[in-house]
Amino acid sequence: MTENIKVAYWPGCVSRGFTPELHGSMAIVAEKLGWELVELDRANCCGAGVIAEHNQELADTLNARTFALAQQTGLAMMNICSTCQGAQSECQQRLDADSAYRAHINETLSGQGLAYEKGKDGFTNKNFLWLLVEDYGLDRLKEQVVRPLSGLRVGPFYGCYIVRPKERLGYGEFPDRDVYLEQVIEALGGTVVEYDGARKCCGFPVVTMNRDTSLRQAGTHVGDAIDAGADCLVTPCPLCHLNLDMQQPEAAKVVNRDLGLAVLHLPQLVGLALGAEPKDLGMGKHIASTRWVEERLTAGAPA
Amino acid sequence: MADYTIKVRRFQPESGEGPYWEEFNVDLDPSLSVLDGLLQAKDRDDGSLAVRCSCRAAICGSCGMKVNGQSTLGCKTQIGEAQEQADKMVGAAGVSAAVADSPIRGEGSDLGSAGNPIVIEPMGNMPVIKDLITDMESTHWTKIRRVTPWLLPHGEPPEREYVVEPESMIDITQSMACIQCGACVSSCLSMEADPGFIGPAALAKAYRFVGDPRDAETHERLHDLADDPHGIYDCTHCFSCIDACPKGVAPMDQIMRLRRKAGEEGIEDPNAGHDHEIAFVKVIEKKGLLDEALLVQESYAPGIKGKLKPSKRGLTETIKSLPTILRPLRKRKVKLRQAIPGLHHGLPKEAMGDVKSIYAHAEEHSEELNLYIRGEEGDDAQPDGAAAEEVTND
Amino acid sequence: MPSHDVLVIGAGLAGQRAALAAAEEGVSVGIISKVHPVRSHSNAAQGGINAALNPGDSWESHAFDTIKGSDYLSDQDAVEIMTREAPEEILHLEHLGVTFHRNEEGKLGTRAFGGASAARTYYVADITGQAIMHVLYEQLMKYSEQIARYEEWFCSSLAIDENGECCGVVTRNVADGQVELFQAKSVILCTGGNGMVWKPSTNALICTGDGIAMAYRAGAKLMDMEMIQYHPTTLAGKGFLITEGARGEGAHLLNAKGERFMERYAPNKMELASRDVVSRAEQTEINEGRGFPDGTVALDITVVPKKRVHEALREIVLVGRDFAGVDITREPIHIKPGNHYTMGGVKTDVDGRTDIPGLYSAGETACVSVHGGNRLGANSLLDTLIFGKRSGRDAAARAKRIDYARASKQVLEDEENLVADIISREKGSGRRISEIKLELGQTMDAKVAVFRDEAGITEALETVRRLKEEAKTAYIDDHGSVFNQDLLGAIELGYMLDNAECTCVAALERKESRGAQYRTDFPERNDTDWLKHIDLERTDDGPEISYSEVTITQWEPQERTY
Repeated sequence: MTENIKVAYWPGCVSRGFTPELHGSMAIVAEKLGWELVELDRANCCGAGVIAEHNQELADTLNARTFALAQQTGLAMMNICSTCQGAQSECQQRLDADSAYRAHINETLSGQGLAYEKGKDGFTNKNFLWLLVEDYGLDRLKEQVVRPLSGLRVGPFYGCYIVRPKERLGYGEFPDRDVYLEQVIEALGGTVVEYDGARKCCGFPVVTMNRDTSLRQAGTHVGDAIDAGADCLVTPCPLCHLNLDMQQPEAAKVVNRDLGLAVLHLPQLVGLALGAEPKDLGMGKHIASTRWVEERLTAGAPA
Repeated sequence: MADYTIKVRRFQPESGEGPYWEEFNVDLDPSLSVLDGLLQAKDRDDGSLAVRCSCRAAICGSCGMKVNGQSTLGCKTQIGEAQEQADKMVGAAGVSAAVADSPIRGEGSDLGSAGNPIVIEPMGNMPVIKDLITDMESTHWTKIRRVTPWLLPHGEPPEREYVVEPESMIDITQSMACIQCGACVSSCLSMEADPGFIGPAALAKAYRFVGDPRDAETHERLHDLADDPHGIYDCTHCFSCIDACPKGVAPMDQIMRLRRKAGEEGIEDPNAGHDHEIAFVKVIEKKGLLDEALLVQESYAPGIKGKLKPSKRGLTETIKSLPTILRPLRKRKVKLRQAIPGLHHGLPKEAMGDVKSIYAHAEEHSEELNLYIRGEEGDDAQPDGAAAEEVTND
Repeated sequence: MPSHDVLVIGAGLAGQRAALAAAEEGVSVGIISKVHPVRSHSNAAQGGINAALNPGDSWESHAFDTIKGSDYLSDQDAVEIMTREAPEEILHLEHLGVTFHRNEEGKLGTRAFGGASAARTYYVADITGQAIMHVLYEQLMKYSEQIARYEEWFCSSLAIDENGECCGVVTRNVADGQVELFQAKSVILCTGGNGMVWKPSTNALICTGDGIAMAYRAGAKLMDMEMIQYHPTTLAGKGFLITEGARGEGAHLLNAKGERFMERYAPNKMELASRDVVSRAEQTEINEGRGFPDGTVALDITVVPKKRVHEALREIVLVGRDFAGVDITREPIHIKPGNHYTMGGVKTDVDGRTDIPGLYSAGETACVSVHGGNRLGANSLLDTLIFGKRSGRDAAARAKRIDYARASKQVLEDEENLVADIISREKGSGRRISEIKLELGQTMDAKVAVFRDEAGITEALETVRRLKEEAKTAYIDDHGSVFNQDLLGAIELGYMLDNAECTCVAALERKESRGAQYRTDFPERNDTDWLKHIDLERTDDGPEISYSEVTITQWEPQERTY
């Protein structure tokens, strides 16, 4: 695995909407890692499971279009959002399962000169986290670390869509995908904080329908991480970030306790270890202050 | 044969003491189950170790439990695999055991080291009666009865059988495959935050009737479940139940089917569930990408710009979400045009044309590929290129 | 004291059907089960349920197949009733909501099954028993005002009044250990079979012959107890069932040489001969060295189209994957004959009445006898439903006729004394319950299985009688009241030993080979001397043997070939 990574890059909607710091930090990290990202700027929203809930064929066709655009580049596809990963994998599973159905979907796309081909050039769609561990490698990552996250106690937060359902998300071939965040944190020199919520739901999908339940979930996980001694959380999912960070003051009210825990996007955490500046990584844009994380890093390992 | 250590969360209600952990050493073939391990401990060491079990073959649904934090059936989990999982996930799986005993793994963690105990706990989201035995009546069964779990046909039955689409019977057989073990309930993350949630098992059971062409109360059932604040729109879409279910029922998929059918029936719920769905679909149709502010506005107050008929809940919820919108504005995280509904950027014009044509096609067909009915082609289906080659070679 | 006109013990298919039938008659009904009803072992019936419902089929054909399958030991009047009433029962279930497989026209579709001359097995994938039982439980929930459910209550003895009639049961609330005498005008025993007497068995851990033993202890006659079915396709070692539906869908049986050996044993029906025939064929292959080293032969499901496996044999795909690590769509799976079903049981008439007035029995607990020496696949669900229904109705009719009799409190005291005795035994004072169960199971599987002889059965009987003595001093660890499964295990061991003793005595008595009873020392069927049932009645010295006639209506015994 010495060749450089070059991928068709789907940034998703939220990284260019309410979490622009994710998009920005990914660009910085890619440059530092020497990855080439070919951005799919014409691709569309994955539907986040909501469109599939409304009309399965619509969701499948929209994502088939994205896959087809990626396949036109001849590259594997990368996303930076657990929800995109999950929603797109769900559609891809159906598309791959049934050639007649695939043909039906491709007929719709044919007017745009597009077609999704199953298994074309070994086509894959992987989250940045998966690519980092499986294709780039933790050893190479370690070599790139210039500012080890010594003494930084980091709680992983995966986001449901990247850990379940295991059968759909390639856990047969890659059974450790649910401990990659821990592996990355350690590779970057940080300390993993164990707490109850790492693979639980942030609550975001029901924030509109049941705000209390949603924020209770976010608030509980953030609180548990604080109780376990975390300096920050890290997540590969910008939608989780919305509930854990942007909604954190509201979540604190629901769980009736003080919170105030920094929540980093995965590229931000990697970026810090690779020597990027917190400001450039957009950490000042977070709702929950990241100052403590920055202080921890400048102070180095605690006694 | 191999040696295993199982660490069981025990509770003896008559002892006057709280729950505690106990480790048992067992030796059995790795292909045997966690339940076999428990039964061996019970047979050899302590007959008071309480666990419901009967068939040992994942059909009776008695032995729901958590193994290394994962809700499952004890009989369906091979002990060798459970050991591998325990070694991999030491402390990392949200196993309350590990959390309680040693919340922080030290630097130079031993992630991946062998020989950790297999952690066995009673199911979650239910009161514990004794050891691994939970009170399913007050939680699981009460919720099952909540969905009117029997067929409600209209009129007298036909002289012979009801004639129905063969595929409809296969479709609801997926829900009938449920053995009421409670593993999905145990794993449900919505229920963890909202104990009132009707939950995955009961909603899958509801689909068994909603999807049954012989049932005549489809609309009423859907209305009931959509209107309930703890109903179909209270599912947080976390997939936990899908992974927990030992029978492939995929309860969350059934809940999504209920939502789709509720939408098809034109059911407007007071929880903004349907409005949120429609809003999302419309926003993507309009812009190709998500416009968060527009989604929020359209979910709570659909058509506010056009018809100006916001609901009371729509207004209050919008006001409630204002601080959430204003904070990122202050932090310059979000630009003003992103915070004002509808001003967010969308896809380039040409790409939007593609999206709109997809909408036009799909809204017309809205074909549903049910893999439970159709099955997967599996590995006899080649990648498209290879298949094409084969055809030309023939 | 809780009172119900009709009290049903056991909540599998027979029990639930009986409760619903009794409730329809307008009487008050209670249903007691030691496990939650949906945990009952009817779940395990995978393949389907037989009925001559197709226009081209007839109940006579179904009856003949059943009688031939039984090796002419079934009572033909009972078989006639069962097969005549089968179509109506299937339609009744369909109307209640069972998701039976449909053919292309959307009507009920069938599959082929062993020993049957027509494809008359109706099914829900390979979860038929489960699908029917959960639908009946839906109905129990629907009619909760008429039917009181006692879920997780364990029955330990029957109350018999001074006139010798059954008037209630002693039962223990498993959740808190409270023991009560329930009063009833009619009691229906539907507690399933006794598979736990053998190890391994396809049966669930709860199948400990409770009802058979309780009725026997109360003085009811047992019948056909020697007839124990070994199912041809069970997973080696673990005993899990692979449905006969697999062979119904076309799967082959192969020996280690890859030969389809059924050609030599049943050239016409091949894999779909009767179960006793197929099990003996397999055991012969294994015994004569043509099996695999693990003492098995192979079931090859790869010859069934994948699409069909996916639709109709889903459960078996899971069983193969989860319990044997085998993808059955790609490779054969190793199987062997394994203990599966109790043809015998509590002797009843066609309305479920036992020798004790007021005591009924249905399902695997009962012996009507419709299965005789060998039960056909997909006839067990039918038996539970038809005779569950009939006993429920008759029990309700009786309840309408009579008043409650006063049950003596003595049974309650006896029960309390028994429990006190078990709990008082000191740790180490005797053997562990689990050791006795293991020795029992292994002995029975070795000596009273597919092939039997006098020496082996005698040895087994001696072992069983020794174990009965040892059970009297066996100790338990749990001395509490809440979910004391240890205590229940000790009581169940007593049931199992009574069942085992009866089976050994009957197997020793029947000096011929018929159906599941194959005596290597008497290898031929002998209609002159043995075309009769063996009945057993409890005495202090063990079971006392008597005989009863086999009812023949229109099918004279013939030579039996497949």
